[in-house]
Amino acid sequence: MKDTIVQGLEQAYYNLVHMIAEFLPRFVVMLVIILVGLLVAYVIRYILRALLRLTRLDRVSEDAGASRVLRMAALPSMTELLSRSIFWITWIGFILVGVSILGVAGLQEQISRLFRFLPEIFIAMLILFLGLILANFLSRAALLASVNAGQRSPKLLSWSIRFVIWMLAISMALEELGLARQTVIAAFSIVFGASMLGLAIAFGLGGQDLARRALERHLGDSEKEKYKEPQPL
Amino acid sequence: MADETYLSDDLLRQLMSVGEVDLLVGILSHSSANTMRAAARSIENSLQQNFVRQRVAIISVDGGAVEDAASEDSVDPQTEGIAFSKGITSLRTIHRITAGFNSAPSAGLALRTILASSDLLRAKACAVVSPATSSTSPDWIANLLRPAFRDSFDFVAPMYSRHKFQGLLARNLLYPMTRALFGRRIRELYSDEWGFSNRLGAYCLTQDVWHEEPIRTRPEAWMGISAMTGPDFRCCQVFLGEKPQPPAGSGPDIVEALRQTVGSLFWCLETHQSVWLGRNGSEPVATIGPDHAVSAEPMDLDRARMFEMFQSGVKQLEPILHTILSSETHTNIQTVATLDQQTFRFGTDLWVKILYDFASAYHHSVINRDHLVQALVPLYRGKIYSFLMEHSDSSPGDMEAEGENLCLEFERQKPYLIEKWKAGVEVKS
Repeated sequence: MKDTIVQGLEQAYYNLVHMIAEFLPRFVVMLVIILVGLLVAYVIRYILRALLRLTRLDRVSEDAGASRVLRMAALPSMTELLSRSIFWITWIGFILVGVSILGVAGLQEQISRLFRFLPEIFIAMLILFLGLILANFLSRAALLASVNAGQRSPKLLSWSIRFVIWMLAISMALEELGLARQTVIAAFSIVFGASMLGLAIAFGLGGQDLARRALERHLGDSEKEKYKEPQPL
Repeated sequence: MADETYLSDDLLRQLMSVGEVDLLVGILSHSSANTMRAAARSIENSLQQNFVRQRVAIISVDGGAVEDAASEDSVDPQTEGIAFSKGITSLRTIHRITAGFNSAPSAGLALRTILASSDLLRAKACAVVSPATSSTSPDWIANLLRPAFRDSFDFVAPMYSRHKFQGLLARNLLYPMTRALFGRRIRELYSDEWGFSNRLGAYCLTQDVWHEEPIRTRPEAWMGISAMTGPDFRCCQVFLGEKPQPPAGSGPDIVEALRQTVGSLFWCLETHQSVWLGRNGSEPVATIGPDHAVSAEPMDLDRARMFEMFQSGVKQLEPILHTILSSETHTNIQTVATLDQQTFRFGTDLWVKILYDFASAYHHSVINRDHLVQALVPLYRGKIYSFLMEHSDSSPGDMEAEGENLCLEFERQKPYLIEKWKAGVEVKS
C-alpha cells in the first residue's frame, strides 16, 4: 500500500518534471518569439512611418478627404493609423506563432478558429469604426445646435446621442461576431427601452413644465420665448 | 452661352418672343404674391420713369405674380404717385417673363436662371431685387441699373442707411474680412439687391460652381467676390436709402445667417485663394451717394442673455474650439469669457485672430465645415455683446472710426492667416 502510494507520487513527480522540462523550452521559445516580434513590429512601424512621411501620404489623404473622416472619428493621421495598425498586426502574428509553439492542442484549435474568424472580426471592426464616426458627427451636431439655441444641458443631449449610437454599433458588432447573440439583443433591447422609458417618464412627469414650454414653443407662438438679438444682416 | 438644361421650354419660348433687351430686372421671388406685386410695380415705375427709350424686361423666377401686377385693381398710392409725377412714361413695352419651377428654386438656381436669361436676351445691364425688401422703391432699381448701363461698371453693390445696431454681421465680420482679404472696400456683399453688367453675368454663368451648396444658398456674395477677383471688372457701390428692419421672425436667425454668409465667405476664400493670397491692403471703390448713414433710435435687445449664451458656448464647446483655434487664442477666449458683464470687452485683435483661425481650420477641414461655422456662433454673440456695450452711446462718427480700426486690424493680421493657410494641419491630441 505504502509502496503503491510512493510509486504513484514518484510517477506524478516524474510526469511533472517531464512536463516542465518539455514545456519550459517551448515557453522560452514563445517568449523569445514574442519579444523578437515586438522588436520587428517596432522596426517595421518606424520604417513604415518614415516611408509614409516621405511619400506625403497625409497630404494625399487630406486631398482625398480621408483625413477629414479620421478627424471626425477622433482618430490620428493616416500615416500614424497605418503604421500603428501594421505594428499591431505584425506583433499579434508573432504572438500567435509563439503561442502555437507551446503545442497546447486546445489552444492551437482556438488559434486556427481565430484565423477563420478574421473576416467577421474585420466586419465588426468596420461597423465599430462607422459607428464611431456617426456617433461623433451626430453628437457634435446636437451639441452645437443645443448650445446655439441656448438650451440647458447640451452636453447631456450630446452624450445621450453618442451613447445610443455606440450601444447600437457595439450590439451590431457583437451580433456580427456571433458572440452571445441572444444576450446581446436582449441586453440592447432592455437598456435602450429602459433609457427611452426613463427619459419619457422624466420628461413627462419630472419636467411637466419643461414639456409644456417645449410643446408651446414648437406648436404655439414661437416669438414669446425668443430672446431679442440684433438682426445679423 | 447658358446651359439650357435648367431652362424650361416655356421660359425659352418667352425669351425668344422678347428678343433682345437693354435692361433686365430679375426678381428672386420667395415671398407672397402681395409683396411680389409691390416689387413688380416699383420696378415698372422705375423703368418707365428712368429708362424711357430702352428695351426692358422683368423676370420673376418662381412665381406668376408679375403678370398680374399691372392689372391689379388695388394700386399702392405711394408708387402710384411716383409713377405719374414726372409725366413721362416708357415709349416701349415692358416685357414680363415668368420662370416657373415645380418647387421653390434655391437662390443659386434662381440667380442662374436670371443670368442665363440675361445672356440670351443680351441685356447690357441687369439688376436683381428681392420682394422681401418691403421698401424697394423705383429709385433703387434705377440706381442699381444706371452704373452698369451708363457708366460701364460691372458690379453694383448697394449701400443703405441703417440703424446703428442693424447689420452687425456685415459690420463686424463680413465687410472687414472681405475687404482685408480681397482688397476692395465694398460694404454690402450680402444684400438682397445688386446690379451687374452683361460681361460679369456671362463670366459668372460659365463658372462651374452652381452645384456647390454655398452658391445654392447665398450666390450674391460670390458674384461680388468674382467681380473683385475676376479679370478687370469694375466695381462700385451705390447708396439706396434706408434699409428697413425686416419683420420679426422673417429673416434668418443668427445661426442660419452665419451658416449661409460665413460659410459662403470661407468657401470663396478656398475658390479664390490664388488671388487673395497675393493681395495686400485694400482700395476704395467708386461710391455713388453718401458713403454711409447710421441712425440711432433706441432698440430693445436682450444683452444679458446674449452674454450668457457666449459664456456657455465657450464652456460647452471647449473641445471643438480647442480643435479649431490656436492654443494661444483658445486660452485668451477662455480668459475673457470668465469676465463679468460690466468688464467684458472683446478686443479687435482677438476677434480677428479667431476669425483667421476659423478660416484656416475651414480650409484644412479640421472638422466638418458646417459644424465649424456653427461653432463660431457663440463667439460672434460675445463680439456683438461687446459691440453693443461699447457703442451704446457712440455717435455714428465714432462707430465709423471704430469700424475702420477693425478693418485695419484685419489687414494687419492677414499674414497670420496666410501663414496658417499654407501650413499643414496641426493634429491635436
